[in-house]
Amino acid sequence: MSKRTEAYFRGVPMKPYDLLKEVLIVFLVVAVVVVIVAAVRSSPDYPTIRGEDVANRQPVAFVETSANILAGNSGIQDYGPPYTPDRDNAQSLFGIAPANWFGVRYRIDPPQDFIIKPLTRLAILDADVATALQAYEAASPDQQQAWLDAYLPALDEATVANGEVDVPAGDYGPVPTLMNGMLSLGRAGLLEGALESSDRLPFTIDPTRSLLFFQDDVYASVAEKLDLLGDQWGISNETGRHPGAWWLWPYTFFYQVRPMSSSDNADLQVGAIMIGFFLVLLLAPFIPVINRLPRWLGVHRIIWRDWYARGDGSRRGTKS
Amino acid sequence: MSEDRWYTMNLTRRAQRLLVEDLPLEDALPTQMPVYVNSIVYLFGATVLSALVALIVTGAVMCLFGPGWYHGSRVGHFVNSLHFWSVQVFFAALVLHMVSKYMMAAWRDGRWKTWVVGALALGVAVFTGLTGFLAQTNWDSQWIAVQAKDALNALGVGAFFNTMNTGQVLTLHIVVLPLLLVLLVSVHLFFIRREGPVKPLERLGRHE
Repeated sequence: MSKRTEAYFRGVPMKPYDLLKEVLIVFLVVAVVVVIVAAVRSSPDYPTIRGEDVANRQPVAFVETSANILAGNSGIQDYGPPYTPDRDNAQSLFGIAPANWFGVRYRIDPPQDFIIKPLTRLAILDADVATALQAYEAASPDQQQAWLDAYLPALDEATVANGEVDVPAGDYGPVPTLMNGMLSLGRAGLLEGALESSDRLPFTIDPTRSLLFFQDDVYASVAEKLDLLGDQWGISNETGRHPGAWWLWPYTFFYQVRPMSSSDNADLQVGAIMIGFFLVLLLAPFIPVINRLPRWLGVHRIIWRDWYARGDGSRRGTKS
Repeated sequence: MSEDRWYTMNLTRRAQRLLVEDLPLEDALPTQMPVYVNSIVYLFGATVLSALVALIVTGAVMCLFGPGWYHGSRVGHFVNSLHFWSVQVFFAALVLHMVSKYMMAAWRDGRWKTWVVGALALGVAVFTGLTGFLAQTNWDSQWIAVQAKDALNALGVGAFFNTMNTGQVLTLHIVVLPLLLVLLVSVHLFFIRREGPVKPLERLGRHE
C-alpha cells in the first residue's frame, strides 16, 4: 500500500477482499445475461430503403421526389454549410452560427448531382431520355421552372402503367420523359450507383448522396410508421420492440418542448443545452450547490448504511 | 545538471516512481478493502467494464467477418445481438455507476480527476454508440444518418464528421473511438486504484 493510501485509510477498519474474483464473477454474470437476452430477444435489423424499393412500390412518390429535387425544392437546395453556400440559412443562436465557421465542405448541387448527372448517364442507354435532356438543358431557367410548376401538381392525378408514371395532358415539356427516366433507373436498381459515381469507383464507401436523395418525404413517411420521427422522440427509439438509445432521452426530450419544438434553430438550441449539461456534469465537483446536492439528497445514507450503523467510533468521514 | 534535477527530468525514472510509489501492487490489485465498501453500487463500475470487454470481443468478431456479415448469417446476427445487448448493459450500468458516484460525492479528497476523466469517457461512449447505430448499414443507419447530420451540422461538427459517410463512421466506430474510450477508462482505473475508495460522507447531527 502506498504511503498516500496508508495515510488515507489510517484508523479505518479493513476487510479481506479479492479484486480479481469480484471482477471475474461480475463479468460472468454480465456474459450470461447478455447471451440469454440476445438468444431470446435477438436484435433489430430493419432492411434498408433502396431506390429500387421506392421505384417499385411507390413510383409516384419516387417521381415526385425527383421532380421536387429538379425544381429546387429539395431540403438540401438552400441548406447552407457544409453543403451549399447559403450562409443565411445556417442555424444560429444569439447571432452565432457554428455551421458557417468552416464553410462548404461537401458541395452539393441537388438538381445537377441528384437528377441531371444520373440522367446524363442514362442518356447513353436511352435515346428518348437523351433527346429530352437536350431539350431541357436548352430551355431557359424560367421555361424549366414553368414545366416543373405545371408537372408537380399534375402528379396528384398520376397513374402508373407499364412501369411509367402518366399525368393528365399538359405543358410539361420534356419533364415527364426525364422523370420516367429517373424511375427506370430506380426500377433497375441503378439509382444509387448513378448517384455515387466518382473517381473513387469501384469503391463506394461514402453513400452521402444516396442517403440525401430520399431524406425528405420518403424516409420521413417510413420513420413516422416506425415511431422514429423527431417529435416521436426519434433517435432514442428503435425499430420493433427493441430498446433504442434510451440514454439519449434527455437529448430528445428538449426537442419536444418549447421553444425548441417549433424553432428553426432547434438543433443548435438543443445542442447548446446538452453541451451546457455536459459541462455541469464534467465540473460537478467544483460547482457550488451541485457539489453539495449529494449531502442534501441523502442517498449516501442508504449506500453506507452499514458503516453509519457501526456506531460513533466509525462515523468518521469527509465533507463534500 | 544536479543528480536530483536529472532524476526529475528523466521520464522513465518518473514513470518508475509513479508505479512503485503511487501504485504498488497492493493498491493495483488489492486484497483488502475498507469495511464501508459494502454495497451493490460498488459493482456498477465492474459491470460497465465487463460490458465493455463484451463489446470489444463481439465487435472484434464482427470485424473479422466484415460489416455486412450479420445481415445474411444467423451466426453473424447472433453475434450482432450479443453486441447490441452488451451496449444496453453497458449504458445501463454506466448510468447507475455515474448516479451512484454522484450521490456519494465521490470526487472528494482529491478524487476530482477520477470524476472528470469518467465524465469524459461517458461523452466518448455516447459518441461511440452513435457511430455504432450509423455503422449498422440498415434502415436505422439510414434514418439516423440523415437526422443526426442536422444536429452535428448546426454545431459545426458536420464540417469534419459526416454521419452519412459510412467509411468514416466505420473507422471511427471500430478504431478511433474505442481506442480513445479504452485510454480514458484506463486512466480512470489508474486514478481509482491509486486513490482507493472515498470515505463515506461525514455523518452530521440531527440538524444536518
